[in-house]
Amino acid sequence: MKRLGKYLNPVSRLGKQQYSILFSLLYSLGLCMLSEFYAYQIVHDPMAVGMYIIFVHVGTILYFSFRDGIRGGVVSSVIAILYYFYIIDTRNYSGQQLTTGVETTITLAFLYLLLAGIIGWLKQKIDKLIIREADEKRRLQAIIHQLPVGIIITDSKGKIVETNRQLESILGIKMPIGIIAGKDSPVSALYNGQKAEPSQSPLAQALLTGKKVVDREFIIEKPNKKKTYIVANASLIHNTEGKVIAAASIIKDVTLQREMEERKDDFINMASHELKTPVTSMKVYLAMLERIAAKLGDPKFEHIVTSLHSQTVRLQELVNNLLDVSRAHTGKLSFKMEPFRLDTMIQETIEELQRETQKISIQVQKSKPVTVIADKLRIYQVLTNLLTNAIKYSSEKSVVDVSVKTDMINVTVRVQDSGIGISKDQQKKIFDRLYQVTDGRENTFPGLGMGLYISKEIVKKHKGKIWVESTKGKGSTFYFTLPLHKNLKK
Amino acid sequence: MKSTDIPPTHILIIDDDESILDAVSLLLSDFGYLVDTISHGEEAVMKVPQLLPNIILLDVLMSGVDGRDICKSLKQDEKTKHIPIIMLSAHPGVSKNMSEYGADGFLSKPFEIDDLLKTIEKFVQKD
Repeated sequence: MKRLGKYLNPVSRLGKQQYSILFSLLYSLGLCMLSEFYAYQIVHDPMAVGMYIIFVHVGTILYFSFRDGIRGGVVSSVIAILYYFYIIDTRNYSGQQLTTGVETTITLAFLYLLLAGIIGWLKQKIDKLIIREADEKRRLQAIIHQLPVGIIITDSKGKIVETNRQLESILGIKMPIGIIAGKDSPVSALYNGQKAEPSQSPLAQALLTGKKVVDREFIIEKPNKKKTYIVANASLIHNTEGKVIAAASIIKDVTLQREMEERKDDFINMASHELKTPVTSMKVYLAMLERIAAKLGDPKFEHIVTSLHSQTVRLQELVNNLLDVSRAHTGKLSFKMEPFRLDTMIQETIEELQRETQKISIQVQKSKPVTVIADKLRIYQVLTNLLTNAIKYSSEKSVVDVSVKTDMINVTVRVQDSGIGISKDQQKKIFDRLYQVTDGRENTFPGLGMGLYISKEIVKKHKGKIWVESTKGKGSTFYFTLPLHKNLKK
Repeated sequence: MKSTDIPPTHILIIDDDESILDAVSLLLSDFGYLVDTISHGEEAVMKVPQLLPNIILLDVLMSGVDGRDICKSLKQDEKTKHIPIIMLSAHPGVSKNMSEYGADGFLSKPFEIDDLLKTIEKFVQKD
């Protein structure tokens, strides 16, 4: 019954291009036979039913041209016209009657075919549009299902209308179609280390704020208890009038990347710890060698031991930097906050560095006493890093200028050199992990590119800022700020 | 340097790294201390009550055994609990909860020689 209803319903045939001529042919013939039966057997007045027949045929032609396109309409039109000629013949029309009948029939034939043509053509156009859209959708779906990322598409209200297979394998569960993003979520996720509310989902945020959500990282626990790191983006889809019609979210599985990074950090951590043990015994042996050298009083021997000592210190610093990089990256840098005089510390650091280098002269501008609450050793690390960089990238006999300025909120330390400078695009990267500045001939300078990354992480942990202003070839000026504590101000 | 009528301070070093044992014991004996070493952490709990040193330098992470556990059991033993224990580690992160295990001091590797000597001196005076 349902299938018959579907077969007869013209709307359910929209988008179908296989039309049957047989149905319209048989139906129209049957209709004519029924009309004859009605005229002769029930009404007994064949002339009276003429008008009704015309109405019934107009309906039939409309139906078939809408159901089966031009072909269906034309077939039922032709049957109707042939039937009219049959009526003219069998009802024994005479003279004037015959002429009018034939003229009317020809007019009707023209009108019927016009009707069948227009309606049928419209129906075929609609079919084509529907098919094109269906093809488009199928194409998109095929792409969506093959993408290596998970996809969620919602309507403008946040109701999920489409997902893909990859999403299921990333999340480990099927995201049910029809739920509202931002209200329900079958996924339990951590965001910034805390349990994420459904309203924190990128889709919900994008729909709420009307802005794109970029690279938000979540940790989810799959039903099989496996920890999965995902990065999610969400953006809104507008129609030609700019109205939001949908939102789409792309979910990337970055677990492998994160695990690799963790493994790398673990490795650096382990390697630097392994390196620390021989450095420890080397230092102890060297201390004894220094005692022996002092007793012997041989200047050459003493020089060698002193050099060995300074190289060991350098090795120790490298190992510490390696450790700091891996700790900073995993957020495990430890700090010991205490109040100290920043201006005095800067003065002492400069004196210490100036003793070791004759290449550069470091000048410091006199400043008011400044007390900060910070990790003294870490700030010393930042300062020596900026100063040794300034020395490293400067030419002989140039001047490095240091100044300290305070305002109501911050203290700003400035280290200015007239060295090789840093180009605009390099300026963005120098604070990244393991990045190194190159000169015009792309030669790198010795070092591992860890210092500025560590400095940035240290300053960040103190709620300060670090940045650079530089012109390639004309030198660089590095700044960092530390917040001043109200109760310490004079 | 110690004068002859006072017996020299007896220091026991427990570390699984032979070079550390060698270097530190050379250094400390040079400064007049009497030094013993144990390279297998497992033997420590048994040997310490026999040796009864004045100070113990104890590495935290040794192969097969955790210095913190050794420290804990030595501090629970009536015979050894009075001995000051200075923990040594290349993992400065472990220094935080040293007192939980009863450790009296901590030095992170690589340590400065002066720091090592000062720390030992502190416990010698206490002794």
